[in-house]
Amino acid sequence: MQPEKFYYDNKIVRNFGIATVIWGIIGMTVGLIIAIQLYHPAANMGNQYTTYGRIRPLHTNAVIFAFVGNAIFMGVYYSLQRLLKARMFSDALSYIHFWGWQFIIVSAVITLPLGLTTSHEYAELEWPIDIAITLIWVVFGINMFGTIFKRRERHLYVAIWFYIATFVTIAVLHIVNSLELPVSAFKSYMVYAGVQDALVQWWYGHNAVAFFLTTPYLGMMYYFLPKMANRPIYSYKLSILHFWALIFIYIWAGPHHLLYTTLPGWAQSLGVAFSIMLIAPSWGGMINGLLTLRGAWDKVRDDVTLKFMVVGLTAYGMATFEGPMLSLKFVNGFAHFSDWIIAHVHVGALGWNGFLTFAILYWLIPRIYKTELFSKKLASFHFWIGTLGILFYAIPMYWAGFTQSLMLKEFTPEGILKYPNFLETTLQILPMHMMRSAGGAMYLFGVIVMAYNLTRTALQGKLLANEAAQAMPLEPVHTIVREGAWHRRLERKPIKMLIAALLVILVGTFVELMPTLTISSNIPTIASVKPYTPLELEGRDLYIREGCSNCHSQTVRPFRSETERYGEYSKAGEFVYDHPFLWGSKRTGPDLAREGQKYGNAWHYNHLMDPRLMSPGSIMPNYDWLITQNLDTSLTKKKINAMRTLGVPYALGYENKAGQDLDKQAQGIADNLAKDHIKVKSNKEVIAIIAYLQRLGTDIKANKTASK
Amino acid sequence: MFKQFTENINGNQAYLLFSLGIFFVFFIVVSIMLIRIRKSHIEHMSDLPLEDSTINSTKSLEP
Ligand code: HEM
Ligand code: HEM
Repeated sequence: MQPEKFYYDNKIVRNFGIATVIWGIIGMTVGLIIAIQLYHPAANMGNQYTTYGRIRPLHTNAVIFAFVGNAIFMGVYYSLQRLLKARMFSDALSYIHFWGWQFIIVSAVITLPLGLTTSHEYAELEWPIDIAITLIWVVFGINMFGTIFKRRERHLYVAIWFYIATFVTIAVLHIVNSLELPVSAFKSYMVYAGVQDALVQWWYGHNAVAFFLTTPYLGMMYYFLPKMANRPIYSYKLSILHFWALIFIYIWAGPHHLLYTTLPGWAQSLGVAFSIMLIAPSWGGMINGLLTLRGAWDKVRDDVTLKFMVVGLTAYGMATFEGPMLSLKFVNGFAHFSDWIIAHVHVGALGWNGFLTFAILYWLIPRIYKTELFSKKLASFHFWIGTLGILFYAIPMYWAGFTQSLMLKEFTPEGILKYPNFLETTLQILPMHMMRSAGGAMYLFGVIVMAYNLTRTALQGKLLANEAAQAMPLEPVHTIVREGAWHRRLERKPIKMLIAALLVILVGTFVELMPTLTISSNIPTIASVKPYTPLELEGRDLYIREGCSNCHSQTVRPFRSETERYGEYSKAGEFVYDHPFLWGSKRTGPDLAREGQKYGNAWHYNHLMDPRLMSPGSIMPNYDWLITQNLDTSLTKKKINAMRTLGVPYALGYENKAGQDLDKQAQGIADNLAKDHIKVKSNKEVIAIIAYLQRLGTDIKANKTASK
Repeated sequence: MFKQFTENINGNQAYLLFSLGIFFVFFIVVSIMLIRIRKSHIEHMSDLPLEDSTINSTKSLEP
């Protein structure tokens, strides 16, 4: 047989590389802006499109799907071709994949500031964009499998299994968590409600971390680390065990995001048990990476790419040690909702994802441009300022998290809360937040220096768009002897590998999700809980639009420090009409689950206009546009119908009365405000959101006196 | 450390045991597969990233 000559496509790798850097800078700049907004509310810039609640999701989407996403595709397109000894299946699909993905990101950049959001964390994009993501993901899949089918290397290296697992799992996660009923072009309601919605969301959310921020990066680690160090991975057997154990266990761990909520206890326990087991495969992977460098530490000293890899792997080890600890109930009871989680996230994100991405960029760009890196000094500077940036980010966040949680849980000897006012604890941690933004700025500056360095590198070289290679074609399968162990056979069969990975993740998915989604006894109903009135429903949609849930939780955990502060702890039956659930994951402000009737309407009106009028020193942004903008009721009918379709018991035909009811309730609130000398028309948005806030948690509060 | 699991299961202990059971079986199967892999194959696999068959390999660029 003759060796075949072919060309690796470097251009697509370069394109994804450029996109990685540009979106990285944009996403982190938005991160820096929101970090500043947390101590300087004026940085919200006085308009609705740049308020914290709307651009925090922009930060998370931009860094995860644009920065990390493009970096994944860069790494996959580079390594897949070389591991399979084949050019990508189709240049056209590569092109569609690249531009389609950028188009999705741009649509996120437009829609999120406009307040078009589902409110599901890391899945905020509305349904038309969800469909686009699905299509582009399929394009990626066809391109990847097409390449696998025309490969010139029979066996699939472990990196590729990680890519395959990423592909199938993200597909499953995305589809299940995007089941929405559209109401209009950019508004939809989640099919699930309350506890069920929460479970699906965090099954998704956790596994977005697992299969977007982790498995593709592990795959890249298994390819690029041996390349950079010019030696094989420490233990290939360990990598096999690592792979199967990791994907099996990860899928179960979602409920650790919902500890002490109303999720059924057994589901919480399941999540905890598997989260703790996760430490084993995670550390297996990290150790496998670090040991690859054994005896090569002198190389690490003068090679900046390896330095980035080592710190990245160490950060991975830290995050995956901390994660299981955070899953222990008593630790989580303390850490959840606090800045501790933000520290955990960014150790992983900045250290592991960020540093691996930088290492790969520094390694790959000079190679595809056939030149040397423009400046090693600048790269080294980037390494140091990036590392310092992580420290200045993480340490203040741990400190802030501990301080605030301790304060919130502290009682006086008389048995009353030492700091009954949430704001007191917020003010205490502002200095830490300032330090964090300094850390973020350092990290971002490093990325900008890298962008300059890589641009100069590209300018001094010339892109080798098509890199020539030569390899023997594969013999037809029937000529090879059917020998080899099971796994060796699996490595030859990409489709079987795909199915095996799919089955492995479906096991955990079914056992964990099905009971809560199908057995109604898991969610005890409460007779006094009634559907929202049309005005409240509209108010709730404003709450979603403004992204209030990015700072305010709606779930009171059964701790004395919380029941004293907020009132009766939350019950599963209270959320049965909440499409979507709005429990939140971070308490930058106080919980709102029992906010209803705590204050008068006038208090809320003034507070929304300028929070500092009612709470001096508050860091919440002004929402003055709610006062000037008219409530859009053109969709109210459709919303009622949609909710009924989803099982909310609005009487048949109620949609025709809804407008009348809405006006009546709005007028009531406007009249009530007028008594406090506040003149506002009943058709303003603020009326609807007040109606919603006053309803929160009152259904079961009716027969109890508010505890505060 | 383990008390918190057993205490919070609310009568659905079977679930937890079942799940851990499947994992255990799965783990054993993967381990058996691992044991059956030949050394020569492992070597071939771990060398895959290092040989990318480029003509004028980028090797010349390495120090
Ligand atoms: C310059 C760098 C960065 C800065 C200044 C920054 C800042 C922030 C801030 C202020 C928040 C909101 C925290 C809160 O709710 O209190 C946040 C959240 C988040 N960031 Fe970043 N960030 C940066 C880089 C990144 C990167 C590179 C990633 C991912 C690869 C990332 C992923 C996230 C995620 C996932 C959250 C949500 C955390 C949660 O909901 O618990 N960030 N970031
Ligand atoms: C063994 C691995 C890990 C486990 C068991 C784990 C566990 C956890 C736990 C218990 C939480 C807190 C949930 C809460 O109380 O709100 C959490 C949050 C989070 N972790 Fe991890 N973690 C792991 C690794 C990682 C890594 C490597 C990354 C990033 C690359 C990461 C990113 C995140 C993010 C983004 C959140 C915040 C989610 C949110 O509330 O919005 N985790 N993790």
